[in-house]
Amino acid sequence: MSTFAAGEGTRTVLVVDDEPTARTALAARLKRLGYRVIEAGDGKAGLESLRRERPDLTILDWMMPEMDGPSFCEQVRQDPELLSSQILMMTSHDQPQQIAEGLARGADDFLSKAASKYEITARVQAGMRTATLIRRLEDVTEEIRRKQEVLERELLSAARYVESLLPAPGTPLRGVQMVHAYRPSLGLGGDLFNIVPWSEDVLTLYLLDASGHGVSSALRSASFSTFLRRENLLHHVGSSDPGAILTEANRQFPLTEDGNYFTIIFAKLDVRARTLSYATAGHNGALLHRRSGEVRWLARPNFPLGFDPSTTYLTEELPLRPGDRLYVLSDGLYEVPTSNGELWGQDRLEQTVHAFGHRSLSDVLSGTIEEAVRWQGHDHFPDDVALMGIELAEKAFS
Amino acid sequence: MSMQTKERPVPNGVVLEMTGDLTYANREQFKTAVETIRQKGCRHLILNMAEVRFVDSSGLGLLALVSQNFKLSQGKVSMLKPQSYVREIMSLANIQKLIPVYDNEQDALAGHRRAA
Repeated sequence: MSTFAAGEGTRTVLVVDDEPTARTALAARLKRLGYRVIEAGDGKAGLESLRRERPDLTILDWMMPEMDGPSFCEQVRQDPELLSSQILMMTSHDQPQQIAEGLARGADDFLSKAASKYEITARVQAGMRTATLIRRLEDVTEEIRRKQEVLERELLSAARYVESLLPAPGTPLRGVQMVHAYRPSLGLGGDLFNIVPWSEDVLTLYLLDASGHGVSSALRSASFSTFLRRENLLHHVGSSDPGAILTEANRQFPLTEDGNYFTIIFAKLDVRARTLSYATAGHNGALLHRRSGEVRWLARPNFPLGFDPSTTYLTEELPLRPGDRLYVLSDGLYEVPTSNGELWGQDRLEQTVHAFGHRSLSDVLSGTIEEAVRWQGHDHFPDDVALMGIELAEKAFS
Repeated sequence: MSMQTKERPVPNGVVLEMTGDLTYANREQFKTAVETIRQKGCRHLILNMAEVRFVDSSGLGLLALVSQNFKLSQGKVSMLKPQSYVREIMSLANIQKLIPVYDNEQDALAGHRRAA
């Protein structure tokens, strides 16, 4: 094998032929056409050159000892590094059957050993055009992959920011225990929840879901969570009344021009008075599990925020007893389909929570998510999953 | 699944025949179809939902948006024959309070509301 130096931008052809006279003649002709030429005297040396030099085109003799042309092609097509190589196979007699076999085993085109110099030129040029297109496609694919990587890194850092907005599990107020689970579907979610201690005895909490997907929903959620800060609510609403807060939020957050909106449940827990008051806007994800065993959903159909600017959202109030638990969750937890499309659904979720009884809050949360995963048959939720469990302690203020 | 829309003029309005899913993926197509009709000065848009199999949360927002936009241009939106599953999804967000639902075109045109 010998390599001939050539300038920048020169295209390279690898000639693989065990017959030195024919090989040298073809190499000379190709050099006259302006190509850089690499020669190899057998299939094995040819594969080594292909791997090392990545020529634009390989011209390959069919008949060679040990590794013949078609076997050479098969090896190239099985190698992920080499499989896009352009191969032009030479035969001394071009039987249609033989051509078909050669193509089937991985050659891109054929060249008769009896071909005129015009035909050789034309076939080599055709092979070069294809090689150029493939190279360009590979370059573009690589560029897309690099850009995708950059985007994914940015999404990841945005996702960390969103997670930093979530509350720390534990005891947000004396006599109240809280745990949560958060599984955004794309790394960056439009679901957000938080717990905001309001006074010594009062805790507010919310879970919101921004419609749409990805970055824009996450940004809108983050902006909404700023609105829901205690100081801001005191300033804009003047109370911790859930209905009044959602009525004001409905004015502040109209539908976007793409028709995006929020659904939300906002609740207030008064530990001393032992009451739970709440309001919802298009959100039906709150489950009250009483110490007595009773389980009920705390929502009724109504407008999500932004659907009707004149809506007044009303506060519902319930008495609580020690040991009662509130589960606040996004619909992504129960709207999970099996492979035939059947949804897990609110009823099965309710039964699951009921069946767990009064095992620890974190066991109930992880067990419920495991049930949903079992139902859909895989670990990847199609939508964001957020789940918060709150328990009024048995001995609060007793 | 994708979505096809076809408009059909009726006295004092336009029926938009919809086929497919009203979802996040098809939002641009639906918005364009509806805006084109609105900008032609249509005062009554009737969405024929009989062939719509699924509406997701983005679809619900689009329906609310269409209703608001038509109201701004002194128009109204009605809906024909949603499938029961779609009806169930819409009822969670009270869509029927924004967009009246009818079982046939005559009632929709007359604006008489029957128990839907």
